[in-house]
Amino acid sequence: MSLRRQGQTALAIVFIILGIMIALQFKTQQRITASGLPSRRLEDVTARLRDVELDRERLLDEVFDLRQKLSEVRHESGLIQALEDELKKAKIAAGLVEVKGPGIVITLDDSKRVAHPGEDPNAFLIHDDDVLKVINELAAAGAEAISVNGQRLIATTEIRCAGPTISINNTRVAPPITIVAIGDPEALESGLKMRGGILETLAFWGIEVKIKRETEVIVPAYKGSLKFNWAKPTS
Amino acid sequence: MLIPILGLVLGILIGFRLPVYFPVIYARYISIGLLAAMDTAFGGVRASLEGRFDTLVFVSGFFSNTLLAAAFTYIGDRLGVELYYAALFALGYRVFQNLGLIRHLLLKEVTGHSQKTGKA
Repeated sequence: MSLRRQGQTALAIVFIILGIMIALQFKTQQRITASGLPSRRLEDVTARLRDVELDRERLLDEVFDLRQKLSEVRHESGLIQALEDELKKAKIAAGLVEVKGPGIVITLDDSKRVAHPGEDPNAFLIHDDDVLKVINELAAAGAEAISVNGQRLIATTEIRCAGPTISINNTRVAPPITIVAIGDPEALESGLKMRGGILETLAFWGIEVKIKRETEVIVPAYKGSLKFNWAKPTS
Repeated sequence: MLIPILGLVLGILIGFRLPVYFPVIYARYISIGLLAAMDTAFGGVRASLEGRFDTLVFVSGFFSNTLLAAAFTYIGDRLGVELYYAALFALGYRVFQNLGLIRHLLLKEVTGHSQKTGKA
């Protein structure tokens, strides 16, 4: 009997602690299974939850900030009109709204001419730089809004070779290419048809160019997302 | 043999009453620590029954094994080595071994004399 008495206090204490641990773990585990997630994914999900909660807090701050600004602006009701006008102008400049007005529609298509032996067949296709040159010319002639195959050109728009297609606003665009520009139709057309200009070069390679003056054309709004991860205003 | 069982029951009751939860992120490590704790506790019972119990070894082993098992698993996770399973198999095996031995020792104590007389 004396052998069995050995260390009974220590055993009792340790078993009490063990019991507490088992009970706590049991409760915790019940909580986890109640949430219906396998415990392997739990770490992932908790990390994401923390991120999202931080995001939410940030957004709540933003909402609060904006509401305050809104009420400030409402107080000075005369300012609203001025601000809205300013906003409208900024939105047109940024390409965030659909705009209409007089302008021209230019259609470019690959050359139908058969390449003679020794000629580079690449020269008969429309390339990103052809489109870029046309757009550059339109902008120089005072175009106020330009779109290429429905992609509104904004400050961050790229026009870049992407294999057989051209990437514009990260969207693939393929010939035939339709460029719509709003501005003085006459000025736009004469800008393009300048002697030694882009149209002459394109015509030389047989690329099919059609220019149509319109009394009203519609340039769509920019549909991509506006995200600024790096650029911050300095003031 | 009653004392460990009573202690366990008491501990479980206390644990359910406590308004405390383990952080969910550490549930994985605590489960391995718990297994190590069970291993040491049953090892202690066995040693007590075998008559070679040492309080200091037992108590220090209980805490250090628990913490080390959890820490080991954590380090394994950081290193991308699944030490969780290594600890799980090693400790699980030992828990069952200890439980089997405890059963043997208890049976021997209860029926030992009658068996001896029966054989004789």
